[in-house]
Amino acid sequence: MRANVDNGPVIGIDVGSTTVKCTVVDPATLAIRWSRYQRHEARQAQMLAQMLEAAEAEYPALKDGAGCAFITGSGAGPLAEAVGACFVQEVNAVTLAVEQLHPEVRSVIELGGQDAKIILFQDDPVSGARRVITSMNDKCASGTGATLDKCLLKTGMSHAELAELHFDPERLHHVAAKCGVFAETDTVNLIKAGVPPGEVMNSLADAIVMQNLLVLTRGNTLQAQVLLLGGPNAYLPFLQAAWRLRIPQTWAERGYIPHNDKHPEACIRVPDNAQYYAAFGAVVFGVQTAGEPLAYRGAAGIHAFIRDGRRARLGEMAGPGLLKENDDLEVFRQQYQLPAFHPPALPAGTCVGGYIGLDGGSTSSKAVLIDEQGELLAKTYRLSQGNPIEDARMLLAQLRDQVSTRGCQLEVLGFGATGYAADVLDQALCADANLVETVAHMMSAQRYCGDDVDVICDIGGQDIKVLFLQNGVIKSFRLSNQCSAGNGMLLQAMADQFGVALHDFADVAFQARLAPRFSYGCAVFLDADRVNFQKEGFSREELFAGLAQVLPKNIWQYVVQIPRLAELGRRFVLQGGTQYNLAAVKAQVDYICARVPGAEVRVHPHCGEAGAIGAALEARRQVAQHGQSRFIGLESAIHLEYTTRTDATTRCTFCDNHCTRTFIDTRTPQGSTSRYIAGFSCEKGTVESRQAVVALNQTRKRLKARYPNLVDYEAEAVFRHSYKPVPLPATGSPVDDEAVSRIWFGHGPVRRRPVHRIFVRSSDAACARRAELRIGIPRVLNHYLVAPFLRTYLESLGIGSRNIVFSDQSSEDLWLEGGKYGSVDPCYPAKVTLAHIHQLLHAKQARHPLDVIWFPCITHTASFLSHIMGSNTCPVLAGTPKVARAAFTKERDLFAAAGVAFIDRVLNFELTALLRQQLFETWGEHLDITMDENDWACKQGWAAMATCDHNLETRGRALLDKAVADNRLVLLMLGRPYHNDPGLNHEVLEEFQALGYPVLSLRAIPKDPAWLQPLFRDDLRAGRIADVFDIRDVWPENYSVNSAQKVWAAKFAARHPHVAVVDLSSFKCGHDAPTYGMIDKILATSRTPFLTLHDLDANKPGGSIKIRVQTFAYALERYGQQLAVGSEGITMPHHTASG
Amino acid sequence: MQNVVAQWYDPNPRTFSKAQRGHTTLLFGGLTAMHDSLIEAAVSALGYRLQALPCPDRDALQCGKEFGNRGQCNPTYFTVGNLIKYLIHLRDVDGLSHEQIINDYLFVTAGACGPCRFGMYVTEYRKALRDAGFGGFRVLLFENAGSLHQSESDTGLELTASFFVTLLKAAMLGDVVNAMGYRIRPYEVVAGSTDAALEECRALLCAALRKRRGLRHALRQCRRRLATVPVNRLQAKPKVSIIGEFWAMTTEGEGNYQLQRFLEAEGAECEVQAVVSWVLYSIWEASYDTRERMLLRSEHPTGRRHWEFAPLQRLLLLRLGRVVLQRCFYRYAHHIGLAGYHLPDMDELARIGHDYYTNELRGGEGHMEVAKLIQGVTQQKAHLTLSIKPFGCMPSSGVSDGVQSLVTARYPEANFLAVETTGDGAINVHSRVQMALFRARQKAEDEYQAALQATGIDGEQATTRLAMRRRCCQATHYPTHQVAGTAANLLYELARQ
Repeated sequence: MRANVDNGPVIGIDVGSTTVKCTVVDPATLAIRWSRYQRHEARQAQMLAQMLEAAEAEYPALKDGAGCAFITGSGAGPLAEAVGACFVQEVNAVTLAVEQLHPEVRSVIELGGQDAKIILFQDDPVSGARRVITSMNDKCASGTGATLDKCLLKTGMSHAELAELHFDPERLHHVAAKCGVFAETDTVNLIKAGVPPGEVMNSLADAIVMQNLLVLTRGNTLQAQVLLLGGPNAYLPFLQAAWRLRIPQTWAERGYIPHNDKHPEACIRVPDNAQYYAAFGAVVFGVQTAGEPLAYRGAAGIHAFIRDGRRARLGEMAGPGLLKENDDLEVFRQQYQLPAFHPPALPAGTCVGGYIGLDGGSTSSKAVLIDEQGELLAKTYRLSQGNPIEDARMLLAQLRDQVSTRGCQLEVLGFGATGYAADVLDQALCADANLVETVAHMMSAQRYCGDDVDVICDIGGQDIKVLFLQNGVIKSFRLSNQCSAGNGMLLQAMADQFGVALHDFADVAFQARLAPRFSYGCAVFLDADRVNFQKEGFSREELFAGLAQVLPKNIWQYVVQIPRLAELGRRFVLQGGTQYNLAAVKAQVDYICARVPGAEVRVHPHCGEAGAIGAALEARRQVAQHGQSRFIGLESAIHLEYTTRTDATTRCTFCDNHCTRTFIDTRTPQGSTSRYIAGFSCEKGTVESRQAVVALNQTRKRLKARYPNLVDYEAEAVFRHSYKPVPLPATGSPVDDEAVSRIWFGHGPVRRRPVHRIFVRSSDAACARRAELRIGIPRVLNHYLVAPFLRTYLESLGIGSRNIVFSDQSSEDLWLEGGKYGSVDPCYPAKVTLAHIHQLLHAKQARHPLDVIWFPCITHTASFLSHIMGSNTCPVLAGTPKVARAAFTKERDLFAAAGVAFIDRVLNFELTALLRQQLFETWGEHLDITMDENDWACKQGWAAMATCDHNLETRGRALLDKAVADNRLVLLMLGRPYHNDPGLNHEVLEEFQALGYPVLSLRAIPKDPAWLQPLFRDDLRAGRIADVFDIRDVWPENYSVNSAQKVWAAKFAARHPHVAVVDLSSFKCGHDAPTYGMIDKILATSRTPFLTLHDLDANKPGGSIKIRVQTFAYALERYGQQLAVGSEGITMPHHTASG
Repeated sequence: MQNVVAQWYDPNPRTFSKAQRGHTTLLFGGLTAMHDSLIEAAVSALGYRLQALPCPDRDALQCGKEFGNRGQCNPTYFTVGNLIKYLIHLRDVDGLSHEQIINDYLFVTAGACGPCRFGMYVTEYRKALRDAGFGGFRVLLFENAGSLHQSESDTGLELTASFFVTLLKAAMLGDVVNAMGYRIRPYEVVAGSTDAALEECRALLCAALRKRRGLRHALRQCRRRLATVPVNRLQAKPKVSIIGEFWAMTTEGEGNYQLQRFLEAEGAECEVQAVVSWVLYSIWEASYDTRERMLLRSEHPTGRRHWEFAPLQRLLLLRLGRVVLQRCFYRYAHHIGLAGYHLPDMDELARIGHDYYTNELRGGEGHMEVAKLIQGVTQQKAHLTLSIKPFGCMPSSGVSDGVQSLVTARYPEANFLAVETTGDGAINVHSRVQMALFRARQKAEDEYQAALQATGIDGEQATTRLAMRRRCCQATHYPTHQVAGTAANLLYELARQ
């Protein structure tokens, strides 16, 4: 081996998910003599062959067997043998390279196309031995370089512009980088709100940096020197700048001084050849390790692999291609190829009146012109170039030109907008209609395919919308959520990555005779699969075919989640820009026809512009209704001038969040101006003056008074001092107790005997000490349930009510400030607890020092349900205090440093006797209390809980009684206790409150059996349940206390005609997942209107929430109208956003 | 106040009578292939038509995802999908009618375990069966406590002591045979010879279980057969202890990307957890809770003196169960030649883990993962501890991994890797495992070199000495534990002799 290494040049190869890197290294000096870096566009083998040929031409000795090769990277596996190269895992390769080249470096951050890696070198202070800690992102955070690429497509910026982009920390907007798809969704929303592309990319870079610091460091501090490696870090200066901003911030927070003489930023650097470190490291491995190398086969070996080796290996893993044996592609094309649009002839020289509809979609913008009869006169399409106003101007000009080239003049009678950009266009152009996309698509499908359509399936770049119709109206619908978004975009990005024009996608895909079987689901996971299949050697034709085949699975199995498709009807309409891709259509048609006997699948003749047509139709309706149009006029719109501004003057100052806002000012040629404000996180951001904020607050107060929101109320009420505990009995008061022991020297049965004794109080000194003690409790998780108990327990023992300090409600700022300790990535409600503890340790501590932070592990809670198998809390929630302790004591005991004791002992609220014991073990010594005092405090705690429940139920009862009396709807929030936190429910319920719906919380549902009995009468009579709180008829395996209560509340809503439901669930909620289908069945069978918002996470996907809220509001309004007229057999529309 | 509207409820069919036993096939599965076939043989001998489902593959995962709830963990998808896939096969390939499938088949599974999703699997089975068009198919659940959810007294499946003893015997046999396999395979001289021997062992044991006699003889036959596999244990291979979520670390198929085989192909020796450890953990949990609750003062005293015998009785029974289980296991281990193998001491694990992961926190493996990592480091049990769990596993990836970050900080010598599986994207997991194996290999090599130095013998001398000791050359001989690596242990042993 060493002879080979010493005898000739050594090649280091790195085959990544998007690029191939190749280096030739001198084994004696380890100097890089030659290198190449190139995107492989899914042709890794071919690209590598080219590179090796170039290397072999430069170093002919390689061909004579003098050299050897080492290969690394995610795509290296199958090529290793073909090249004759030893495989080295990429993190190990990078580690070796850094150890060799930069022994002073302590932290490495390498970003690749799919993977992010952090390597930490720590020296043991005792032994001096160096320890290497490595971590790679999990699947949810994958897609670093790939995410940048996809978002770049949406902004319309070029790679050259990106390389020149300057990082401006003052103009950052919120982007979630937890996952590539989440980031894309946020990016689309920002772009469509008019935020300049540069700011969007900077925000994305900052978000990627923050995500890596929050999660990938696993709670470790990155120590200086820090090396930034990998393609994105090497080529994108704004990304480097983001690291240089954020890493020193974490150093400052943790009191770490990187270097006495250097500015912190100078300790973070990008070396030359940062993109080649893995390839170089593979060589270092070869040189340092005494293994037996393979005989170098080089480019010839790769060519042989391409020629012979691939297909034989793939047969078992693949399924058939898009075309089956008996399929006739031409027949299919004839049936589904959309005919070219031939605009109708217009009488020359006339003035043509028409309505314009504009759909500002995620990746493209579309506009149509219809006449007064609704006939399509012209249409146009444009890939989004960033700013929606610019897109709209160009589209309108194109429509005008299409008409004028036919010798006519266009008179716009009305203008309607839909899609992501609808709000900004509404404001800037004074639209007659601002229509939610779902309704726009329904109107359009019915216009072209008739009222008897059963299912409309729209696949846009970002969203999937599936509408189910009955008697010509929406019966229910499903929308992709964050985790199922980006499917259309994935096809586009894939085509782009492989260097194929999108309109050639189908032709390429149809060539495949076999196709890899993708696992459907999240687009990021699909991309990970794609890398895997590329590694296995699938060609781009096969990958395209496989991707097309997985699309229907994503739609029908992941988003729609109705396995028996035939239940939905027979007539399906496919629309959305993705339907121009015949490969996608073929996969869809095959999928539907295999499951629905006699299915009729049609493609909307103007599938890409379907939404725009709907908007135009609605504009026509609105103008007819109001008698005139608000539209600013075609020429004014085309010549509209606009400016976008994000700076200190646009920042919102009406609360502590200080949101970065963008002002988009428009000016018509006539001089009239308007302003659209983007980037705010609450409605205060929509205004500019104090007076306007005051007016907003007043309106808000009126709304709150008229339509109470008990979720908000409960979120505050449970933490307030609202119960005055009965003072402790005096010493000497009689107590009836029992003595418990085991006989037979402590090994026998249990003996219980009554004891009559006197109440024992602690000393006056202990009482005085308790009065001074300050205890912090994070306002998180099940504390939203048991806070009255926790507070009252402490107050009963003499802790001042002002000395019990809860952290604030969750917010973006709180999270960003204190969320960087995480070593795991569970649901957001669990993760955000670290930020709450950070706040208690810093902000709250700074105001008035705390003595203790109490964060008990709550394993069980009390439940009002009967016949349950358990009342366990979720294991993540129960264990999170332990994770918090680990995070805050891992490198240094931050509690001790702050002079705070952290108490996380287990509490079981199901078994009161056990709880009493646990509390005494927790606090006995700390508070210096007697057992009698502890017992008394427990009693007071339970009394406070009962009072709190009673108060909430009384309010709930009043709300429901009023709804029945007024024949109106109440919205019930189905959620876990912590979903009352506005930072976790994203204030969705306030949006409904603003629409005039009072909101009921689960805890506020009256639990009076007599009151509930009529609702459950039939179930009781049928013997399916033993009492009104029994849920065994729907869920016998009801261990999870919060999920079981959600299921019961769903049953309640299903039986109460004046209750509609908003069902919230957080991303990764393992206890909610088993109930999804059940709650859907319960509410769908009873035809209760419901909106499910699953996979809630740290980010607030504004656009996606908006479309759900608007569509559900549309459905609720219709249901409310039917309720008001008291029609029998109401067809209740329901909505679920599972996906 | 209420309109007459339809309401949904779950019929939850569970009837299985004695009369149906003759024509009803009880489907089950979820452990290793060895466990499943031994259980099938053992329980069939009790008069049941028992049939193990094949090891879940990617098609099963797809099936599970198609008919299951969104957002579940992948053991749910794999196991639920495996059943649906099998029933679809019965219907579409074997041509059985819906009625035949409903009447002649049912599925039996364990449940319970509280806060982890495992306790709710049966909900998922019913949902998927309903949506896949097998509404009415019976899923019987026996809890750890041993009661069957069945309304009739005429039970087709009699959960007697004999039934559970048979089940546990088969599970323990599976454990010992598998453990032998993992000890021998990495060092086999002829590729495939261990698997061939294990196949023969499986046949021998199944035959004995079906006859309900001759088990000891069969185990000894297995020992003799395994001893014939030629091995070379003087190879410094990294030892990898696999811990994590029960199903993910137990399955040997696509559910964990065939992790055990992958590790062996990468040159590692695997140490897997015995299924019976889980039973021991359940016993420990019950004992712990009983002890914790038995001396609690009542909040509402009865006012009279009395004695409670139930807690004592329960503790004694649990202790008896534990002792019998351990003795039985060690007897099997002795007969098959599994020397030096120790079942985990649950009390010790609880003690070790408690400071980091409170014993009262339940769900999944509780404190065991944390304790096993600490034990692995302090007792030099492995060069790499690999914790495998499904994506989004609540107790394991949501809590244990967070706590493990503190453990690894306190024990810097620990080589620990936690990986999540989703069923797809094997490349990511394999890559991360390779990453950690690199360091494990170095540790194993360093350890071996240290052993050479400490013993003063070189590689050639070691080979010569080994050749002179016939017993030590046998596949069934496993050197006594001193350090993590088997080769280094063998060196120390040779030096001692």
